[in-house]
Amino acid sequence: MGEKPKVAICWLGACGGCDEAIVDLNEGLLDVAEAVSIEFWPVAMDYKYDHLAAFGKGEIAVGLVSGHVRNSEHAEVAHLLRDRCKLVIALGACACFGGTPALANLVSREEILDAVYVKAPSVVNPDGRLPQVETAWEEEILRLPAFFDHVYALNQVIEVDYYLPGCPPPSELIRNGVRAVLTDDLPPKGSTLAPRKALCETCPRNKTKPMRLEIHGPIRRIHEVEADPEMCFLAEGILCMGPATRSGCGETCIRSNTPCRGCFGPVPGVSDPGSRFISSLAALLKVGTTGDPEAVMASLGDPVGYLYRFTHPVSTLGARRLSQATEETP
Amino acid sequence: MGYKPKLVCFSCKFGWAYLRDMNALGEDVEFLTPVECSGRLDALHLLKAFKERADGVLILACEEGHCHFQEGNFRTLKMLYLLRDVLEAHGIEKARVRIEFSLDPEGRKILGRIARMKESLSALGPLNRALL
Repeated sequence: MGEKPKVAICWLGACGGCDEAIVDLNEGLLDVAEAVSIEFWPVAMDYKYDHLAAFGKGEIAVGLVSGHVRNSEHAEVAHLLRDRCKLVIALGACACFGGTPALANLVSREEILDAVYVKAPSVVNPDGRLPQVETAWEEEILRLPAFFDHVYALNQVIEVDYYLPGCPPPSELIRNGVRAVLTDDLPPKGSTLAPRKALCETCPRNKTKPMRLEIHGPIRRIHEVEADPEMCFLAEGILCMGPATRSGCGETCIRSNTPCRGCFGPVPGVSDPGSRFISSLAALLKVGTTGDPEAVMASLGDPVGYLYRFTHPVSTLGARRLSQATEETP
Repeated sequence: MGYKPKLVCFSCKFGWAYLRDMNALGEDVEFLTPVECSGRLDALHLLKAFKERADGVLILACEEGHCHFQEGNFRTLKMLYLLRDVLEAHGIEKARVRIEFSLDPEGRKILGRIARMKESLSALGPLNRALL
């Protein structure tokens, strides 16, 4: 058993969907277990952080890490994984770009604590007590992880070798990624283990896209209309992030008659998919000089939530690095 | 007192000051950037300006119907409507971005427009960068 490469699978600020995608390998998981030795996987089995800490530096061949970094526990475990794993792969949209929970970056830490622990309708907290990092209790000090004021993508905390995006990443992509590691058939470090094309190029509806794509009138959102199951969403005036999003997802959403929400992140060379999409959307919208562009734009509802749904921490305005100073005084 | 807002100004080369040496406009226009068309501006240019500590952005575009590239000025206006929501969500007030449509071959209005924008930025005070 000792010769098999060791693998650690870990979640930080994650929902467990990425681990579920690994389980979705089904029988393929047996092949993986045959080829590697899974040494750490807290979601699936009873592992403690001490198990991970007991390994030597770089002793684990690959660490598959899902989830963003929001508190001191996430940061500590991320650093521990970085030290013990030779390769770190960011698994899923949260680890790669911060993911949906990172929309919380649009409000302050104080507002979040107030909403959750004081103002929530189901909470009775007249003294306004908030979670403390340290609490004295019967001669003991109880400790909780410190809650940071920002959600970070994994590469803003530790060095990441490869990226497997998606919410969750398709099992096929994970299988190919693991295979590439095992056979040492890897692209340069820092690469995303997914195709380089934009989703539109692989979209089954691409053939219905008119040669000159234009959106007339208000922008429609998918829950407001009954979308044609064959037609390009943008051609119908329905917002779809396909042009600004990397392909490789298997077009699951598109096949379920749901437009792309951008969980695969930007195409190579684009740092801020939201702003890129704004510029292209402005060009597509034909409101006429006598029309009211403000009303048409307002029909978008929540542009920030839509355009930066998965990528806020890596966007131009949202990007930050977690410094040692921030870790100490969150 | 003493607060001097940092203003980044993008001006269209086809409509603004094309008969004038831009460098001669004086030191008050520290961040004046002539562009081939206001439609050349990407949302990213504005986001980067704010990230790099600008307090406001002024865009000098051609008058309606006078865009050398048909509708670059109108495209930028549409882009701004979307972008303003993004900026506001980050605590950047809508008034910190302004677009002016006019034609000014000799660039006589530029200093005045910049001064006016700086005045309203001074009234707003420094940008709250808590979410940036």
